[in-house]
Amino acid sequence: MRSNRMGWGLLAPTLIILGIFGLLPFFYVIYVGFFDWNVFSAEVGRQFAGADNYRRLVFDEEFLGSVGRTLLFAFCVVTIEMILGFLLAQTLVRDFPGKAVFRTIYALPIMIAPIAVGATWKLLTIPGFGLLPYYLDKWFGIEYQLGSHSGQAFWTTVVMDVWHWTPFVTLTMLAGLTAIPKEPLEQAQVDGANRFQVLRFLTIPMMMPVIITTLFIRIMDALRVMDEVFLLTGGGPANATRYIGILIWRVVFPQTNYGYGSAMSLLVLYMTLVLAFLLFSVLSRVGKQNTSEK
Amino acid sequence: MRKQSRSISLVIGILVIFSMLFTACAAPVAPAAAPAADVAAAPAEPAAGALDPMTLVSDPAWWATAAEPYKGVTITGISESTPPSRYAAEVLGPAFTALTGINVNFEVTSWDEMYNKPIKDMEAGTGIYDFVYIEQDIIYSYLARDFMTNLTQLLADNPQLKSADFDLSKFTSFIDNFKDADGNVYGIPMEAFIKPYLYRMDLFTDPAIMEAFKAEYGYDLAPATTHEQYMDIAKFFTKYGEDNGLELWGTTNQAHTGHASSTYEYFETVAPTFGIFNWGINMDTWKACEANGGSMNSQTAKDALQWRVDLLQYSPPESTASTWDEVAATFAAGRAAQGFVYGENTVWIALDPDRSQVVGKVGVALPPLSDGVMAQIESGEGYIGYYDGGAFGVPSTSKNKEAALLWEQFIGLESVQPAWAIAGSRIVMESTYDDPMIQEANAKADNYYTKMKEEGPLYRGAPPFPFHNQVRGAIDPFIWKALAGDMSAADALDQACVVAEETMMQLGYGE
Repeated sequence: MRSNRMGWGLLAPTLIILGIFGLLPFFYVIYVGFFDWNVFSAEVGRQFAGADNYRRLVFDEEFLGSVGRTLLFAFCVVTIEMILGFLLAQTLVRDFPGKAVFRTIYALPIMIAPIAVGATWKLLTIPGFGLLPYYLDKWFGIEYQLGSHSGQAFWTTVVMDVWHWTPFVTLTMLAGLTAIPKEPLEQAQVDGANRFQVLRFLTIPMMMPVIITTLFIRIMDALRVMDEVFLLTGGGPANATRYIGILIWRVVFPQTNYGYGSAMSLLVLYMTLVLAFLLFSVLSRVGKQNTSEK
Repeated sequence: MRKQSRSISLVIGILVIFSMLFTACAAPVAPAAAPAADVAAAPAEPAAGALDPMTLVSDPAWWATAAEPYKGVTITGISESTPPSRYAAEVLGPAFTALTGINVNFEVTSWDEMYNKPIKDMEAGTGIYDFVYIEQDIIYSYLARDFMTNLTQLLADNPQLKSADFDLSKFTSFIDNFKDADGNVYGIPMEAFIKPYLYRMDLFTDPAIMEAFKAEYGYDLAPATTHEQYMDIAKFFTKYGEDNGLELWGTTNQAHTGHASSTYEYFETVAPTFGIFNWGINMDTWKACEANGGSMNSQTAKDALQWRVDLLQYSPPESTASTWDEVAATFAAGRAAQGFVYGENTVWIALDPDRSQVVGKVGVALPPLSDGVMAQIESGEGYIGYYDGGAFGVPSTSKNKEAALLWEQFIGLESVQPAWAIAGSRIVMESTYDDPMIQEANAKADNYYTKMKEEGPLYRGAPPFPFHNQVRGAIDPFIWKALAGDMSAADALDQACVVAEETMMQLGYGE
């Protein structure tokens, strides 16, 4: 009994902070989502709107388009980052000259704040001034115009995100790879398994918990991407890079539409949870199949 | 340990070499002048240096006495990072503190945040800000929500805080933008400027260029008075730049495809010159589509937007990433032969050799117009362009209104205006026009101040919409799509007007 009290006492500060900064705003967002609340509407204050905000969202082309773009962005960046990160981790697990230097330089982007990443890439890509448009034109004759070409803007945000976050994936994979027991791998090689078979039937299954964890972290991060893209393109050209985070920011802040923005946030949270659950189910099943095949 | 420190040294060494290489590689693509971001971020030059507050007021003792109860208090304000605001923060704030003992915590921030932060503060009633920048276009929204303190009333209620040096009647008529129907003042003007048509006088008066232009177009090269002429000039100088290996294009273009500035450029600068006023919104019915009595998607409006889109081919490559700041930097870098540039930048572009490559080469003119538009303007029906500006107001939620009232009067003193006008190309008082410092700058800037004084009445501030940001935000994507080439100008405006009407209805305006 005494130890229970002590336990709760020790937990209390964390629970209080979690309650104030985590749960309270969350429930407030749920509450505001049921109101029509725009600071500058003719009718001042909050007007109860029931589920109207959610009903409106289902038919809001801008919102749906933004969700679609965000999913595409998340799919592209997470796929590339996972594959690249895994391959680089495989490389870094071996010793080679200059490995420590390479690993240090390679990890630098993770330490840079997203807003600084956006600013750096803006300077790098701004037409007329940036290095990227200059050299793409000079060396390959490619007209790179971030402000006019939707495709270029989209893929630039993808590359920027890959540049920023692949090192994170690599480091987590590297941690996973170094933790794998060496014996099963050596045993398989003795039994005549080639490198691919070792990777496919041993390394990947044993890495599955790390892969799933990294995947979820990256998916959730990619779905809420905001600051670096906002600084680089402002969501443009037009709405080519207006990912859901930017759309919600625009609705809540410049347009001061708090009710609708809250509803948007909640729906996005719900979709993220569903997506995470589905992915987890699929990956767990794949993991179990691999284990039973073994 | 030694190995690790060697690695760190090696990494730092490599980074330094890389940064040097990047700098070296960047040289050929760097503009003639400082890059946009640098110019935009550079602090305003305090033209008169640090001010001696004792010389600014007739009775320093009165200020000290009036401020005595508030000595040590810190008033917090917020404004956009523009030349006039930076001058207020860097020069006027310290001078006011020296005079009164009241500290000024002045936050100069981005345009977005300049709205977001005070709106949240005033809506929530937290009272963080004691003075806020009120742009002329947002005052109607703020007044509709009773966000601002009635300064006329505050002065009447606190006669002991009324400075003898402060006189509301000395302001230009721009102060009327910050009055309610009863004439009560809610903001003390701190900046006011027009958005003129700037052109490169050196290019426009070069005999060889003039001759080549006349040979090609059959008329004399001069600042454009029609849209067709403007397009011809843009086309001519773009080709001239190409032919001569110059980083020169025909026109600036505030055409960022993800920023509100491009919508403003269309509705406040281009559309009025075609005869589309008030964004094409019928202010009696709050309708925007032509079928409902608006003109946002009229053929004239579509022609105006198409003209704007067509100009992109004669604009510098950075145009679709350019907001108002970058446009000024582009012109200052000598990369455009003409353009529409916010007047707050005119004087530094024309005078400051540290920041501008076109010192002494800047011409100022009225924008080109369609037939019949000048008659509409002179009749009062319309306007030629945007008369921009803002004021500092005291939020109703401020906890230091009296101290803020002294600050409001200080920035409204006649004596602080001339140096501020040089730093920010802004004038809010009639007497400032006659100041020798202004006269001197005026002569070097193609009489910008004189033109602002004489032609100012042709310009007008934003329409009195209580939903300014909300409707603009809804329209933005369509303008961006047109500029990015994702949608025709006609389709963009057809869809924009529908969304504008929907937004106004959601906000409770229009049937």
